[in-house]
Amino acid sequence: MSALGVLLRKEIHAAFVSPIAYVIGAVFLLVMGYTFSLTLFFTKVANLTYIFHQMYVLLVLLTPVLTMRAFAEERRTDTLELLLTAPVPTVSIVLAKFLASLTLVTAMLAASIVYPAVLWLYGQPEWAPIYGGYLALLLLACLLVSVGMLTSSMTENQMVAATTSLGVFLMLWFADSAAYLAPEPLDALFINLSLIGHFTTFVRGSLFLSDAGYYVTLSILALFITTRVLADR
Amino acid sequence: MSEPVIVARRVTKLYGGVTAIRDLTLEVERGEILGLLGPNGSGKTTLLRMVTGYLSPTTGSLTVAGHDTVRDPLAARRHIGYVPESVPLYTHMRVREFLGFMARLHGVPRPAVGEALARVSERLDLGGVLSMPIRTLSRGYRQRVAIAQALVHNPDIVILDEPTNGLDPRQIIETRRLLLELARDHTILISSHILGEIEKIARHVAILLRGQLLAVRSVADTPDLESLFLSLT
Repeated sequence: MSALGVLLRKEIHAAFVSPIAYVIGAVFLLVMGYTFSLTLFFTKVANLTYIFHQMYVLLVLLTPVLTMRAFAEERRTDTLELLLTAPVPTVSIVLAKFLASLTLVTAMLAASIVYPAVLWLYGQPEWAPIYGGYLALLLLACLLVSVGMLTSSMTENQMVAATTSLGVFLMLWFADSAAYLAPEPLDALFINLSLIGHFTTFVRGSLFLSDAGYYVTLSILALFITTRVLADR
Repeated sequence: MSEPVIVARRVTKLYGGVTAIRDLTLEVERGEILGLLGPNGSGKTTLLRMVTGYLSPTTGSLTVAGHDTVRDPLAARRHIGYVPESVPLYTHMRVREFLGFMARLHGVPRPAVGEALARVSERLDLGGVLSMPIRTLSRGYRQRVAIAQALVHNPDIVILDEPTNGLDPRQIIETRRLLLELARDHTILISSHILGEIEKIARHVAILLRGQLLAVRSVADTPDLESLFLSLT
């Protein structure tokens, strides 16, 4: 097993023994179950568009709590010194923490597959928006977790890390609002920075490489900066 | 004369505008027990952290077993076992699990981990606590676990930062005996601000003050180390 594998195993174990993961998972599934039941009851339409947007909001709100410990806790307890003096590349440490948190989010999303299953059993859902919605949620999770890693790497205070992450997510969410005030061609930049703008196209069932590229590029950028923050000592 | 395994050449470390280490040149030979002695804030921890690769020198160069700690950090770290001052441990893990993780992280192959654990647990008398969670251990046992993680991959060089801090007199005597035993087959770099401790363990002492190396002396040839220390600092 490579150093990444050893670290990933430790991180996944740490994530699943932490009560935070279970609390977040429970809150996510409880709220989603409630929303799904109500939406289906009132609309009686085999469509998950509203549910995907609800999941988007919950991920934006809950991911900072999930990622805040990643480096901040290691910094506070000085165990980061053990990791960073071991003969493993810093990028492996970052990737292990990123993949462990992403695994948790993916597990939560996987549990929500019961919703399309219910639609399939009792209706005739359109599948393209459902596939697109889950792909969008996965890409969104990559971005949120990688930004969460970055803010956690910059402080030893978990609350500071979580609050900063949430601030960044909300700024990205509402970035397109600034386009109304910005002159051309700056307005296009704000529109293209919008977290929700790139999400909505997927949920409609459209797949654009530029939307996927947005999430992938920002995720890689955040992970790269995290690695630099840790390596710059 | 033996070959040097740690070579620092004109090393300076700046934190913003503060000079933590100033133009330090030092060689540590194989099999040596070198004690770093100096008051709090003299730069001992910074120097040790640079040798481990946790910090990078601002100017100058540092090599460990012939590997530059900045250009080839992973190769340099493979030769080092490090016990930081704060005794950082993953307290949610059991002792066996923690030592196994550290062994794998330092490249011990999976089939050899059991043997490595048996070796260090015998040497540090940890057999009775291997199955216990680290959070339940006393300060003395935690210190032993911290030393064990530094030895589990059988490094050539062991670096200990203030290893007797916070221990009671009995634990200090036990730690001292252990270090003298380790010195038979390891190069040891140890820091302390307690002159009596260094005198009992080290063969040579390096005296630091405000980031400058003032003197390197053989303990055997310096009968009144206390007077020398007082005259220099």
